[in-house]
Amino acid sequence: MTHTLHRAGTDRNLREDFIVFTMAAKTVNAKGSAGKMRKFFEILEKHDWVNCGDMKTGNILNCDRDTIYHGIQDTSIVHFVFRDKKEVGKILEELEAAQLGNSVVVSGLVEDINRQCKRAGLQMHTVEFSGGIHGRVELLPEKPVLEITTMCGHGMVASNLVRELVRQIKKGKKTLQEAGLELAKPCQCGVFNTKRAEALLEKFL
Amino acid sequence: MLIRKETCIGCGKCVPYCPMEAIIFHKKRKGKKERSFAEIDLSECVECSVCLRTGACPTDAIYEQELGWPRILRKAFSDPLYVHEGTDVPGRGTEEMKTNDVTGRYPDGYIGIGMELGRPGTGTRFRDAEELIKRLVKMGITLEPHNPLTQLIADAVTGELRREVLEEKVLSAIVEFTIPVEKAQEVFSVIRETATEIGTVFSLDLICKVAPNGDIPIIAEVEKAGLERSLNGKVNVGLGRPAFNG
Repeated sequence: MTHTLHRAGTDRNLREDFIVFTMAAKTVNAKGSAGKMRKFFEILEKHDWVNCGDMKTGNILNCDRDTIYHGIQDTSIVHFVFRDKKEVGKILEELEAAQLGNSVVVSGLVEDINRQCKRAGLQMHTVEFSGGIHGRVELLPEKPVLEITTMCGHGMVASNLVRELVRQIKKGKKTLQEAGLELAKPCQCGVFNTKRAEALLEKFL
Repeated sequence: MLIRKETCIGCGKCVPYCPMEAIIFHKKRKGKKERSFAEIDLSECVECSVCLRTGACPTDAIYEQELGWPRILRKAFSDPLYVHEGTDVPGRGTEEMKTNDVTGRYPDGYIGIGMELGRPGTGTRFRDAEELIKRLVKMGITLEPHNPLTQLIADAVTGELRREVLEEKVLSAIVEFTIPVEKAQEVFSVIRETATEIGTVFSLDLICKVAPNGDIPIIAEVEKAGLERSLNGKVNVGLGRPAFNG
């Protein structure tokens, strides 16, 4: 699924929102790929990430590092979220040098990713864009809410949870940081950017 | 999902966690000998397990009932930890462009299109997907065979889905296909028409391989059609091995 696509936002508030993930192709190179994905995990965890997870085990907020790391399987999809495009560039350089052989996908502003690919000596292979939301758009929540909820492409983060947490922040029952973490819990893959969520929640206050 | 009425303490903490707003809160009425409690609207519940997994209930009153056919489809298309038989991929779609560097699924001269019904956050019933599939099949478009939605088609000629699944509600379902670039404008036109008729929302996915000179052919096609295109997206950086040489 295109679970890291369709993140709503502006050029400005998407600048610090990158996901780097890996998976193997079932029909080509999946057999024995778990070890390569663990190596990928080891490379990325050394960098300044804000969230991570694997669709086989869950996100780092719901289970610990070792559960994710040791739970990696040939059919895993391992994700890390970053704020800094230069960090992504460094990771791509390391992955290029490591030649692990599993496919690697970066989500974020495409121009920024292109620059970081070139820096690492890579050329973008395939690109996927969002062509927008169509149909009964009157059913959608307000845009500031959508900018937060769409950080979980599987739709696990409820609009009403955003509204409830905004209420709790206003009442002083939760900090922005606590609210950002609470919103990330339902997103099992670990692709929800908690730091971006904090910044977006602040705009409600 | 279900809530044990006898265990529920009526705190309402679970209510905001439901992405489908399927948890109904019954507030105690003044002067009545009753108590507040939460209940799940089974018609709207998509069995995503968010309410259960986030630990929102302080008394563990939420539980998952046994899911038979066709209700199990709700879970299959809504809980990302559920792995579809046939794709072996967690989630509701396929590997799509994520492994294109080794599979060659989207070669030069082709574009991949996904229409993700119910995304973001509205959910969809399979009857909405059926209407869309019928139109595409009529145009001669072949849908991605490994997509779990394609596997629900009962009649490949008309695009009709299995009758018993039509009213099942899911968080989202993806209609996935690949077309030659020359067909893009015709397909975009149908997508626009569909948007005015469909009972839910859909997010549009646009995929293509990057040319050796760095050009991204789909950009010109999208601009020609006057469609929206995001600044952010997904990039397969070509590190998969063995590289596809088709």
